[in-house]
Amino acid sequence: MSRRKNILRQIALLLCVVLLFASFNGGLYLLLTRRLSNNFSGANQAKMIDVGRYLPFEETSDLARVETSLRLSGDLPVLDGAAALVPVYAAAINAIYPEGSVTYEGGAFSDDNYYGENFAPDSVMQYKNTVRGYKAVVDGETDVFFTAAPSAEQRQYAEKQGVALRCVPIGLEAFVFFVNAHNPVNSLTAEQIRAIYAGEITDWSQVGGVHRPINPVTRLKGSGSQTAMDRFMGDTPYGRKSPLVLFGASIGYSFRYYMEGIVGNDAVKMLALNGVAPTKENIQNRSYPIVAEFYAVYREDNDNPNIPVLIDWLLSDEGQTLIEKSGYVRIG
Amino acid sequence: MKEKTFYRLLLAVLLICVAVTVAHFAYDVYAYKHCSIIWFIAKEVWGHVAP
Repeated sequence: MSRRKNILRQIALLLCVVLLFASFNGGLYLLLTRRLSNNFSGANQAKMIDVGRYLPFEETSDLARVETSLRLSGDLPVLDGAAALVPVYAAAINAIYPEGSVTYEGGAFSDDNYYGENFAPDSVMQYKNTVRGYKAVVDGETDVFFTAAPSAEQRQYAEKQGVALRCVPIGLEAFVFFVNAHNPVNSLTAEQIRAIYAGEITDWSQVGGVHRPINPVTRLKGSGSQTAMDRFMGDTPYGRKSPLVLFGASIGYSFRYYMEGIVGNDAVKMLALNGVAPTKENIQNRSYPIVAEFYAVYREDNDNPNIPVLIDWLLSDEGQTLIEKSGYVRIG
Repeated sequence: MKEKTFYRLLLAVLLICVAVTVAHFAYDVYAYKHCSIIWFIAKEVWGHVAP
């Protein structure tokens, strides 16, 4: 009897150990892993920007269209850009480049092909996104790069290479902060957001929300949104955060059109800033506090004669209408 | 089961559980660095709170 009891005790102890670890890992999966795992699927990567949806010269593309008599010929500038601006430069190619100048090879997303930039080397449309795209324009692989303002590191890289870049503002966009749609907070002041990222405000209850830790999420250094955030923070240093806040409620930042027009995820919501919502109207009349210009960037020493033609066209009424139809706000 | 056998089995189970947990953590650290922040925030657990 005592031997049988001993065996039962041993089995119970083993089961307890297994259950303890299983519960811990289950909780970790529910609170964290579940939110990360899908990000590696092709479908989810595509949602960062599904380039295939914005291919020039395809009838089914989701590109804005304008009537224009301009058609570039000769030495065609190679265009590249940030994820959020793919719809703009793809629409420009569609409007003024000759058909057949873009070769999209398709293919699957992978670690080596993180952004799915499956364009042939001789295609005038490329997609490297911000961090690698800036390098490509400095190195002369890309002629014109569509992006938010360059970061300090990107400017330094250009200086180190002895390259002067020209950044021409071609449209307006709002830099926005977002939270989960269930988060009851709808508006924050700029000072509150700086205090959150500085680590001075650490719980949503301090800004009118529920009692739950704030996870202030930052982005990849050198990305357009991180550069905009660094500018927003100014001299205010980022605070250190405990790993435990990963289980709290997060706040993140991005650009309005990327969130609204490209990702379109109803489970997150953009916050009003100082009580002003980031609508197109509020960007145009500059009442939204963080209106950012976006740029066409090219090397000053690039003597491709079509670059000034392209830039002039983007700033013309036709080009600005295209930018507006693409979901952004015209400049000026 | 003899005590010695039981402790060996217990140690083996513990090692497997710890290894699985460490691998789980390592995956999370890697995945967090590469994930889409919008999706990360979209999938936050909020229970009964209505959007």
